[in-house]
Amino acid sequence: MLRKLLVMTIVSVMAIGVSLNARAEGTVKIGAIYLLSGAFSTYGQFAKNGIELAADEINASGGILGKKIEFLLEDSTGKANVAIQAARKLVYQDNVDLLMGLDSSGVAKGLVPVVPELKKPFIITHAATPDVTGSLCNKYVFRIALNISQNTKAAALIAKELGVKKWTTIGPDYDFGHQSWEFFGGYLKQLDPEVVLSADPSFPKFKAEDFTPIINKVIADKPEGVFISLWGGDLINFIRQANNLGFFKQNFKILMSLGAATEVLTALGDQMPEGIWVGTRYWFAANDTPTNNNFVAAYKKRFGDYPSYNSQGAYAAVYAYKAAIEKAKSFEPDKIIAALENLTVDTPSGELLIRAEDHQAVVNGNWGITKADANYPIRILDPIRIFPGKDITPTPAESGCNMK
Amino acid sequence: MRKKLQLGTLLLLAVGLVLLPKLSPFFIVFVATEILILGLFATSFNLMFGYCGLLSFGHGAFFGTGAYVAGLLLQHLQWDFFWVLAVAPLAAALVATLIGCLCVRLNEVYFSMLTLAFGMMIFAIAHQWRSVTGGSDGLAGFPLTRVGLGLDLVLANPFHFYYLTLVIVGLSLAAIYTLTISPFGLILRAMRENSERVAFAGIPANRYRLYGFILSGLFSGLAGALFAAFSRVAVPEMAHWTQSAEPILMTILGGSQFFFGPLAGAAVFLGLKTLITSYTSEWMIYLGIILLGMVLFLPKGIFGLFERWLGGRT
Amino acid sequence: MTAFVAALLNSFDIGILLFIIASGLTIVFGVLGILNFAHGALYMTGAYLLLTLMRTLEIPFWMGLLLAPLGVAMLAVAIERFLLRRIYHRHPSFGLLLTFALLLIIDDTVRLIWGSGYHIVEPPPALRGAMSLFGVTYPLYSFFTIAMGILIGVAVWLLFHRTRIGKTVRAAALDPEMAQAVGINVPLVLTLVFGFGAWLAALGGALAAPMRTLGPAMGDTIIIESFIVVVIGGLGSFPGALLGALILGGIHGFGGRWLAEWNIVLPYIGMALVLLWRPEGLMGRR
Repeated sequence: MLRKLLVMTIVSVMAIGVSLNARAEGTVKIGAIYLLSGAFSTYGQFAKNGIELAADEINASGGILGKKIEFLLEDSTGKANVAIQAARKLVYQDNVDLLMGLDSSGVAKGLVPVVPELKKPFIITHAATPDVTGSLCNKYVFRIALNISQNTKAAALIAKELGVKKWTTIGPDYDFGHQSWEFFGGYLKQLDPEVVLSADPSFPKFKAEDFTPIINKVIADKPEGVFISLWGGDLINFIRQANNLGFFKQNFKILMSLGAATEVLTALGDQMPEGIWVGTRYWFAANDTPTNNNFVAAYKKRFGDYPSYNSQGAYAAVYAYKAAIEKAKSFEPDKIIAALENLTVDTPSGELLIRAEDHQAVVNGNWGITKADANYPIRILDPIRIFPGKDITPTPAESGCNMK
Repeated sequence: MRKKLQLGTLLLLAVGLVLLPKLSPFFIVFVATEILILGLFATSFNLMFGYCGLLSFGHGAFFGTGAYVAGLLLQHLQWDFFWVLAVAPLAAALVATLIGCLCVRLNEVYFSMLTLAFGMMIFAIAHQWRSVTGGSDGLAGFPLTRVGLGLDLVLANPFHFYYLTLVIVGLSLAAIYTLTISPFGLILRAMRENSERVAFAGIPANRYRLYGFILSGLFSGLAGALFAAFSRVAVPEMAHWTQSAEPILMTILGGSQFFFGPLAGAAVFLGLKTLITSYTSEWMIYLGIILLGMVLFLPKGIFGLFERWLGGRT
Repeated sequence: MTAFVAALLNSFDIGILLFIIASGLTIVFGVLGILNFAHGALYMTGAYLLLTLMRTLEIPFWMGLLLAPLGVAMLAVAIERFLLRRIYHRHPSFGLLLTFALLLIIDDTVRLIWGSGYHIVEPPPALRGAMSLFGVTYPLYSFFTIAMGILIGVAVWLLFHRTRIGKTVRAAALDPEMAQAVGINVPLVLTLVFGFGAWLAALGGALAAPMRTLGPAMGDTIIIESFIVVVIGGLGSFPGALLGALILGGIHGFGGRWLAEWNIVLPYIGMALVLLWRPEGLMGRR
């Protein structure tokens, strides 16, 4: 009797929860899945900021086809099965119209094959594994952010110009680190067959606190170029420890594929060495366009910092949905998907074309050399190198996407 | 009279679960499926904890093995799901045999720590062996095959999957229950109370512990295989100690001294999590507060509340 | 040769910090019988308190190093007095559940108060820069950490073995009933010991802050590392914590350099070997 009571109580409370979540008429609901807890929760927070800003701006000017935007956040906790259940909840219980998300590439690889069951469009704004618009591509999933192939192609182009031949890498010991090295090495070899890729690259444990053994090892190995794909907290730890050990005073060239992320530069302040080539998925000072200038100003005013790439990605995704819905004049998933294909969206990152063949946005790459500047509290990039998207994005055939 | 009450409750619960998909909102079917699977995991964990008195911190090893073997079989061989469910638990049982041989010699906290160590070794294998297990990303996108045995079920249909899970979990729980009331189960319980005495009675205590461990691993692997099909992925985190902590939490919440305690704990834990995340993205602090409350005010777990009426202590 | 020296220094560096933190865990287990899951969260709170003291209140590092652990110790005393005390008489599994719940609460509270972003703490000017030893450049601050660790280790050992307080604590741990009978206020001792364990964790956090990035859930890896140290060294053994910490430090320092792919699994293999050979730990009592 009491077990039944328990089960019935839970079921009815959840049923109440469901009815409370029933959609208010006249809104368009976006479900967003990001890392909201744990060591990388800052990225979820950034995404939330971006969505909030976009939603408020759009709602202030009348919404999308007259309907206001409402968004719901779910925590992926970095696990694919949790993200999948969260996506199911957003679609079946909360009745969202649109989905977006994903910080972790691992979660993306797990969730993307399941999205067709949910029958809603999904725009990925952060996860960078090429597979999502490559081998795992499907008609519901889009990506508006720079992926590993694009970023490493830009890095390889810079590496070629630097001219050195013996390269090694320091990357986190999980698929992101390994894939970054594979793609970088592959592109660089194509550009310069004389390049020698180290047989003993360094992959310290992901979320390791101590990179000193690796730093000493790389210094001892005496490479000519080091490609670093560490990111976030790992990169901050690495740079501080590397500073102490004289890593940046050695005479090898350094490329940091995610070194220009604003959260890294903000945390480090003037601990960030100058004169290093760093890349990012979005650089706030790269485009002197009204869209970008307005975005950066609005973001800084509201949140107090320069926008990180994750905020821009989320912001751009909301605007992409707006553009697609307005083009399709409908909220139906299939029509939105058709409208997103070959759509050119104006984002702070520039005018992006979302390709029909693999749903990857042809995003520009942003690299630059770090420099101190009295006008900014963080290191900025000077010179900035913008790589046009069409120069760094592989063709749909190359990306391995077979959507039809 | 008490027996009739228990039987009646069980019947009511069974009917409720069968009717659930017709009565509840669509998403609840997914939640219920997850509760059943994790409830099975927790119940098989409790075979060691509640009955043997050994707290294993590494049960994710078996859960994860079941999940990965299922994922691999579906991805590379596309076996009928029935055969996947037959083989994956056996693989988990094999792992349990290897690990168990070394662990059952130890007591209490040492047993816990050693199982944790082995669980993490399985995690490391899953995480590092990129060519086979997919590395940190794990296995994804594997097809859901037919069930086999001439059953016309589509696994991708949440209702079909729910009913399949209900039947399998129901049968498994029945099997485990039979074990616990058998002489074998009585020996396990005796060992929890006083393992020296059991040994004096001429029973090889460690061997029985090992059998219990293997059976516990077997059913945990079955839960893992179901979970892989349900979540559509097999990831290294399924073998991590943080995953192993979930059945522990659920069992303590529900009451380790009751057969249905772990299942009830799973229902409460997952129900709470689903509810909390509906209202806020700051779920950790609220879950922590509620757990704290339960520890302080529900000493015997949820079931302990109803102990008087239900009896059925192990 | 320089690689060896570098790895050795690194091992000491990591090991001594782990020793300070893990000794808190082992002392609490030895006296209270509770394996505190929230120990890593207390470490994190120590680091964040230091951050606030230095950044917002502009207190110098040395003062902060003194005050932050005390703050966390006070929090721990409150936790013991109002929460932990109620479950001593119950099954040990409730201790796990309680401290796990505390872990969730403390982790999220820190994130709500300080945000999810990353922060760094600068070492004091006197300890910046590096020093050369046997051809290896090593940060001054790391030498400071090693020195502090040795100092703390010696001080705590003296406290437990040469002072009256230490004798009282050991008596309460060995036989609480008897200790109570001879007039020792056992509940007070337990409270103070829990506070002391937290103090050690927070001291570790404050010491680590200039070397590690502060971010959410930074204590999560620490807790499992502390468990490994304590198991290898022996649950409840203070010198065991030192030995275990140095061994784990060695695994990270040498393994991290030469066996990087084994990074995840090596500590667990070490733990398993010890448990299979000598379950009570290398320096635990049988």
